Amino acid sequence: MLKFWLTFSSLTTAIIILAVLGFLLQASWPLMQSQGLSFVTGTEWYPYEQLYGMLPVLVGSFWSIVLALLLAVPTGLAAAILCAELLPERGRAALRFSMELMAGIPSVVYGLLGLWLLLPLLESQFDLLTGRSLLAAGLLLALMILPTIMVFSESALRAVVTEQRETALLLGLDWPTRLLRLLLPQAWPGIRVAILLALGRAMGETVAVMLVVGSMDRLPQPLYNLLQPAQTLTSRVGREMAEAVVGSVHWAALISSGLALALVAMLLSLLTQRWRS
Amino acid sequence: MNRSQISKIIIVGLALPALLLPGVCLAYILFKGLPALSWSFLFSATEGLGFGATSGVLAQLLGSLLLALLASLVATPFALGTALYYRLLASKRQQALLAGLLNMLQSIPPVVFGLFGLIVFVHLLQWGVSLLSGAIILAMVILPMLVLNSIASLERIPGQYTEAAQSLGLHHGAVIGRVWLVQAWPGILTGQLLGVARALSETAPILFTATVFSGVVWPESIFSPVTTLQTHIFYLAQEGSNPQVIQVAWGSAVVLLGLVAAFALLARYLANRYENPQHLGAER
Repeated sequence: MLKFWLTFSSLTTAIIILAVLGFLLQASWPLMQSQGLSFVTGTEWYPYEQLYGMLPVLVGSFWSIVLALLLAVPTGLAAAILCAELLPERGRAALRFSMELMAGIPSVVYGLLGLWLLLPLLESQFDLLTGRSLLAAGLLLALMILPTIMVFSESALRAVVTEQRETALLLGLDWPTRLLRLLLPQAWPGIRVAILLALGRAMGETVAVMLVVGSMDRLPQPLYNLLQPAQTLTSRVGREMAEAVVGSVHWAALISSGLALALVAMLLSLLTQRWRS
Repeated sequence: MNRSQISKIIIVGLALPALLLPGVCLAYILFKGLPALSWSFLFSATEGLGFGATSGVLAQLLGSLLLALLASLVATPFALGTALYYRLLASKRQQALLAGLLNMLQSIPPVVFGLFGLIVFVHLLQWGVSLLSGAIILAMVILPMLVLNSIASLERIPGQYTEAAQSLGLHHGAVIGRVWLVQAWPGILTGQLLGVARALSETAPILFTATVFSGVVWPESIFSPVTTLQTHIFYLAQEGSNPQVIQVAWGSAVVLLGLVAAFALLARYLANRYENPQHLGAER
């Protein structure tokens, strides 16, 4: 009885993963059937005309993630260095607490902040008609992944053994050299895991992005224009899932975005685990 | 100025956003939301005249709590069972495999579980947009963190306790019930509270599987839809034409934040209070 409970519940994890992949694959099958694999490179998305091009959202997701990482990695890493190396114990505790607080704010509240604080700021700064853009999504995502990067990098930095620090000090190396030649290389395995985790979070974030990205299904013109309304994988799913007819190709196209997200996330997780061990 | 000082200044400069933004965000939310709070805002559920502008958020508050607590209730037996299996029955290889699978499950974005739930619970099983669908989806979202937390608190139990219990000839059930759970319950409960806090902050997975905008105060059964604070904020935020509505959205955000903080702080208190396993007299 006891053994049955324990064994069964330990199987649930595997069952859930298999069930999620299986059902999502089955539900996205109509898309593969009707479009082959050409939808990946299609640039047009008009469900009413049976056009299901994924390229605009892939580009949108790519830019918002890259922008978020470009902003959050230097800041988060600098905060981690500050926390682990420079601050006294009390400042360290305060900084850690504020990061935990930031991590605890629900994503929909970030969305609210983005919509009613960030967008007006962007509109006045860049003189835009609407602030809804990939830039807004990237900025908001950067804010949301900052705690992940900071907390994991900080514990990686603190894990660098005292003996090596003392050796570096005895050699008379100054602080920047110790940082660049000892601490960062030693902590790098942990830091890259932090970056991967943040990447996963940025990729899967839905409601906050949905509120600020503008939900415009077209490629940015030109491709690096971050100030136009755009769409990401997750924001499209959130916007259109409720209106798609069950079993239609539109439905299948949206489910397949979810499947793609799950597969990439699991791949990232495998990579993380390899890097950790 | 020497190199060392300059580089430290650069680091502080780069870190500046991380130092300021948490405070700025929190202050802005409170600044916008606190004026909306009142007794009637919290404890009345008058129906949405003027698109939610004049109503209280009692229904949403109850819906959020109900979903999160039910999710935790659903996930707990599986989480505890998995953690106990990991410590008691699993071989080294099975442990590695299980840890890998748990990490994988944790990495899947919550919105994907929402899609899965939409296919399986809402349409295939015909539960409809309902409390039950949402609770099971959220249970899937928080399962890995509950398991990993329980494993961690079971691992903190000193090995001698287990050895002593086993050498007394206790069977598995007694080791678990009389030794492990007695020692590890604060850690496990901490994990549960954090799980509830996490479930309270998720919006995407329940957006089209468990919630409606208005019309529900207390769900009639587990097959009825609910309204939640998360989705309430989401819908109201987009009604830009009416400043009163946005005011309600900020107020709801403060209530949600308070709810999440209450569970997280309770968890923190428990974790601090029972950080070390209680020592039995025999060991000293």
